[in-house]
Amino acid sequence: MPLVKIIAKNFMDMVASLTARDLDRLYENPFICEAILRSLPPLAKKYVMQMFYIDGAIPAKMMEEWVLPDGFTKHRVAIDRLVQLRLFSEEKKKETTYRLNSTFQSNLRKHLIYGGALPREPMPSGITARLPTLEDLEAYAIGQWECFLLQLISSTQAERPTNFSSSMMKVFQRGLLSRRDKEAPRLTESGFQFLLMDTNAQLWYIVREYISNSQERGINQADLISFLLELSFHVAGEGRKENWFIPTKLATNLSMSLTDSSARKEGFIVVETNFRMYAYSTSKLHCEILRLFSKVEYQLPNLIVGAITKESLYNAFENGITAEQIISFLQQNAHPRVADRMPSVPENVCDQIRLWESDLNRVEMTPAHYYDEFPSRDVFEAACDYARDQSGLLWEDPKKMRLVVKAEIHMHMREFLRGQNK
Amino acid sequence: MVNAIKGLFISCDIPMAQFIINMNASMPQSQKFIIHILDSTHLFVQPNMAEMIRSAIAEFRDQNSYEKPA
Repeated sequence: MPLVKIIAKNFMDMVASLTARDLDRLYENPFICEAILRSLPPLAKKYVMQMFYIDGAIPAKMMEEWVLPDGFTKHRVAIDRLVQLRLFSEEKKKETTYRLNSTFQSNLRKHLIYGGALPREPMPSGITARLPTLEDLEAYAIGQWECFLLQLISSTQAERPTNFSSSMMKVFQRGLLSRRDKEAPRLTESGFQFLLMDTNAQLWYIVREYISNSQERGINQADLISFLLELSFHVAGEGRKENWFIPTKLATNLSMSLTDSSARKEGFIVVETNFRMYAYSTSKLHCEILRLFSKVEYQLPNLIVGAITKESLYNAFENGITAEQIISFLQQNAHPRVADRMPSVPENVCDQIRLWESDLNRVEMTPAHYYDEFPSRDVFEAACDYARDQSGLLWEDPKKMRLVVKAEIHMHMREFLRGQNK
Repeated sequence: MVNAIKGLFISCDIPMAQFIINMNASMPQSQKFIIHILDSTHLFVQPNMAEMIRSAIAEFRDQNSYEKPA
């Protein structure tokens, strides 16, 4: 699922941007090492595994020999990533050599040998009897998550008592809600896109915002990241003795979603070729999400019936949702009955949604400057090339020697033309 | 010496270009906004006309759509 990968990659970029000292402290935790290993690009993973038991440094030339010539860009990307995460330390003496970070290496070796199980204190039997079952946990997790998302939508409609801490509200306000005085807070464009994203992507976004927020509150980012990542390695349903928390599926999926695979939830939407939509769901959240881009007509105890109309889609486009997001939301949540059919959402519906979107963007306007009356063809050609290099050339007419250039580079053009005159 | 004019560059399809040219022609002389017609899909107009052109196109689009009386 590419979107989750992008969000998770952003999280890793944030990890990579920590200071060198923080990063080295992070690597003392074996679970972080494993999480980071999982998030590396495949070639980088291979390099790390090859360097596992090599203590010395490997010259860069030798590493380049491992790759075929047309894989060279991937090789460069992998090496850059590893250097960025301070996994590979570069030494330039006579030639560049790379060495694997030693804390990282020893932690992973231990992990490999001992299997990486978490230390589990045996819980007193009185408590184990009262542990909630897996189904209860799932239901609880889903319930809380829906409450959370509904909070996001319905806070735009009515004032509801918040039972989430103020730091969460700050996370919302940062990117997703925009608060205007005297009006109820409105969802921003990214807020709408957030709602249509997959659960894992949403989780990562929240985690990332929460961590960037924590800097303002004085909590060390590295400690927070290591706690969250360690949390994600617990198996769902097992508790810990002291301060008792029982991780739910949501948390464990965090670390799984660092790689490409993730648990698929049951789809519930059927879209017909006559633009009608049937969603077999009881959740209020789903109803609200569908209301974002379709006209909900009937709501039955287990079914939501709606139609995708031009007006409803225009509404969605005005709020900043793109056609691609709507179509991918429909495809990802397709009911199992239609999910096997190729394509799961009828093509005429997809095409029409895209056509309606492009109908709104028929005209492109750019602030620009128009140049004519060039003294000679050479000056005109030089100006064209200059504008093209600055990627500001919008239109040219060689016959009549006229040029249209973006407004941002007008100053540079003026300097250039003055230089040409001399 | 090269002559420079500041304005707004419009890139669209041919019917929309004709629509904008028509709109320009129906304006009184003091309010005409097209500086140059570059070719059949590109125009160069005065800088602050963006909103007006956008709202005219939106109105044209609404006139073309039929909404069933509820």
